[in-house]
Amino acid sequence: MSEAEHEHSHDDDHGHGHHGSPWIQHHYDDARHQFDAGKLGIWFFLVQEVLFFSGLFVMYILYRAHHGEIYEYAHHYLAVKWGAINTGVLIASSLSAAWAVRCAQLNQRKGLILCIVITIVCAFGFLSIKYIEYSHKFHMGELWGKRFDPCATPNETPLLTKMKKCEGHVSSVVWDPNGGPDAIGGPKAGCLEKGDYDRDPKTPGIQAQCTVDEVQYADESRKSEKGRKELEACEMEKEANGEAHAKNAPCYILQINHNVCPAGPGAIEILKNESEERGNEWGVDVECNKAPAPVAAADPFAEAHEPVVLGSKLVAPPHVVTDEEEVEELESRPPPPHTNMFFSIYFAMTGLHGLHVLFGIFVFVWLLIRSIKGHFSEDYFGPVDYSALYWHLVDLIWIFLFPLLYLIH
Amino acid sequence: MATEHHDDAHDHGIAHVATKRTLLTNWAVLTVLTILTVSATKIDMGPSANLGLAMAIAVLKATLVCLFFMHLRYDKLFHSVLLVGGILAGALFVGFTLMDTGQYQETNIWDPNSPPQAPNAPRPIVNQ
Repeated sequence: MSEAEHEHSHDDDHGHGHHGSPWIQHHYDDARHQFDAGKLGIWFFLVQEVLFFSGLFVMYILYRAHHGEIYEYAHHYLAVKWGAINTGVLIASSLSAAWAVRCAQLNQRKGLILCIVITIVCAFGFLSIKYIEYSHKFHMGELWGKRFDPCATPNETPLLTKMKKCEGHVSSVVWDPNGGPDAIGGPKAGCLEKGDYDRDPKTPGIQAQCTVDEVQYADESRKSEKGRKELEACEMEKEANGEAHAKNAPCYILQINHNVCPAGPGAIEILKNESEERGNEWGVDVECNKAPAPVAAADPFAEAHEPVVLGSKLVAPPHVVTDEEEVEELESRPPPPHTNMFFSIYFAMTGLHGLHVLFGIFVFVWLLIRSIKGHFSEDYFGPVDYSALYWHLVDLIWIFLFPLLYLIH
Repeated sequence: MATEHHDDAHDHGIAHVATKRTLLTNWAVLTVLTILTVSATKIDMGPSANLGLAMAIAVLKATLVCLFFMHLRYDKLFHSVLLVGGILAGALFVGFTLMDTGQYQETNIWDPNSPPQAPNAPRPIVNQ
């Protein structure tokens, strides 16, 4: 059928000196010679592609080796469902591409056209799913470099940065963990970062274990008589002076646990930032007495019922963190610095892969046109085979990108 | 024409023809492995074990694609040598790059008497 057509249209011009497809070039001995030459060429191209992508894998592995925490945190943002569906789509298209080669080799023109169409449809499906993923990420600010919005909420649990008015907004991705407690409610438990502060880099070790993590409202039941009187006085003053006063000096009593200052707190100062830009934010400065030589840990509840009063502030027993609170704290932790690098790598790798899929569509449309024209036969199916090999390589790269970029746990 | 005759042929003169069974089996195994790798993330075995399993499945899938979809099993050995050579070159890139990157980290402590501050350490707000 198709061969007859070709013999009619081409054979007069070419005169191959051998039987078979008119697409066999003069300078090849036979169809097999031409096929093998093309196949060697496409394999060199594929190896070049492997080397090309390996640069990106170097970037990925290097960054993961040094900043694993970013990848661990990234699981908040991953679209596993779409990634898995896309993997299935690509595997299906690989099947249809391999089947297209079989059809071409066996002179099955209709089957060949069908397989190429299925491959093209799968490629469009893949890119459509990529579009859904990308547009969601654009919408949420889960982007590369400075475009990354650290305040983006990847799941149901709002990030702590939201509560903190998101100080590391958009352009800055380095958070100040001591940026101040929630502006509206005043100092809250757990707002300030724990940590050992190595204050003097020239002296080895931790000089002061001043973990400022337990600043919280005084518990009703644990208020001392003096503290309660102070609070009442404050409330009365607030009532007398109206809301304006309350804004400047809300009535609360700070509790600083004993772990904050092992040697007992020195002075505690409540700071308020009233600049227009930042709104009303609260900070707490705690000054510790000099740390004594390490002693056995004191019973945290030893003075549970009679907090030590320091000036106008209260010192209360430490808050014991429960498992749920710990999980919640972990989940609501803001992204670590440079989380934007994950998205730089994500977009570089999936973007380049997506471009390959797009190029593959052009190649398969070209194949579709040629197969409709009936160019391919059992003697001449090289372009189908080479294109399918390219398509399988695109699938291969995705096979690695999928676990590396979507299945981080 | 010759379709009937060729239907289950393994070699038709120019190149190997994959059988329907090979193609379908390969596709089914690849799909099952994809489901397996997604399900494996729900089991927490520690980050490195999870990553190791995911990569092992990925390597297996890649091998299946190479051997059967890309015909490497029936193809000239030289094409496999080319591909493996490319992958080895990629491994060299990674290896050589990873070898000395630690040298540029600020956390290298040369003098134990003056350890540098950790990068991105919280601003100390507690005064002694």
